[in-house]
Amino acid sequence: MQAPVVFVIAVALAFDFVNGFHDAANSIATVVSTRVLSPRIAVLWAAFFNFAAFLVFGDEVASTIAKDVVLQNVLSIGVVFAGLVGAILWDLITFWFGLPTSSSHALVGGMAGAAVAKAGFGVLIGEGLRKIGIFIILSPLVGLAIGLLLTIAIFWAFHRNRSIERLNRGFRTGQLASAAAFSLGHGANDAQKTMGVILALLIASGHAASDASTPLWVVLSAHTAIGLGTLTGGWRIVKTMGSKITRLQPAGGVAAESGAALTLFATSASGIPVSTTHTITGAIVGVGAARRLSAVRWGVAGRVVWAWILTIPGAFVIAWSTFLVVDALS
Amino acid sequence: MDHRAAFFLAAAIVCFLLVPVSNGYAWVSAGVGTVYVLLALASWLDARSQRRI
Repeated sequence: MQAPVVFVIAVALAFDFVNGFHDAANSIATVVSTRVLSPRIAVLWAAFFNFAAFLVFGDEVASTIAKDVVLQNVLSIGVVFAGLVGAILWDLITFWFGLPTSSSHALVGGMAGAAVAKAGFGVLIGEGLRKIGIFIILSPLVGLAIGLLLTIAIFWAFHRNRSIERLNRGFRTGQLASAAAFSLGHGANDAQKTMGVILALLIASGHAASDASTPLWVVLSAHTAIGLGTLTGGWRIVKTMGSKITRLQPAGGVAAESGAALTLFATSASGIPVSTTHTITGAIVGVGAARRLSAVRWGVAGRVVWAWILTIPGAFVIAWSTFLVVDALS
Repeated sequence: MDHRAAFFLAAAIVCFLLVPVSNGYAWVSAGVGTVYVLLALASWLDARSQRRI
């Protein structure tokens, strides 16, 4: 394998690491904010289930990223590299400002920006981008609805229970399972995006056939990278997710994580690359809205929505400029 | 109108607007939209009954 291909694979794994680092907060914010686990144990818990996801899910999302965003004949080492740089820089900028934006949409925006810089807007695959675009809107709404319905179900099931202390203890244990499920969904959907980028690179450089499935070494290295990123943690975003949007109790934590996990399981199985950040944010808002709408701090939620809207164009522009620089230098 | 019901109704409208462009996933948009309509109705009834109390 040539050195540039190895280098870009390393950059893709670095993106996966940053993704785990950036999105660690999504997996552990609710368990940390409800004090079910200490931050140190919580990241270990999440990292383990991020890695274990490869045993449960296939590579449908990877295939969508590799084959349904831009035409395969435009992909080159330079395009994949510039796309990754766009996504990584956007992730780091939003991380600095403590905004829970989507690494997935940064990746899609980055790949699209680099490909357009090389060959114009005609290389974008409308159908694939439409599917991703629809679920940008639907995934937080689905997460919100499930989070809200689960919260109502929990209220109904346990409203006669007088011992709040005992109830909270039960839900603290339940949160271990729901956090594990969410981390599993996060590992499945997000690691597969990096697998998709590496698969696209292998196809573009002639190391894999255009109809090839993802090699096992790619699957294992992507899950290892995201697990290590999660292990490193991202505390700025933990604060926003865990307490600034709405204040969570253990029962709410179970509802939010279960709602987001169910959404991620369904979309991963259907090959739809959704944002784990959007999904858990929607579910947390759903838990808050089950009490009353004013329990949600809409100012913070609004700031998050603006960051979402800007993610694809932001990563697009960075990747587009990076490709022009790379192209000029080579 | 109750703010929460209005929010759910707005979410339902967004979902139904997505149906024509959702192609293979139109049933997801329509299903989620229907859930939000039901949530809006339940939230409005909840607010009304609380006002009476």
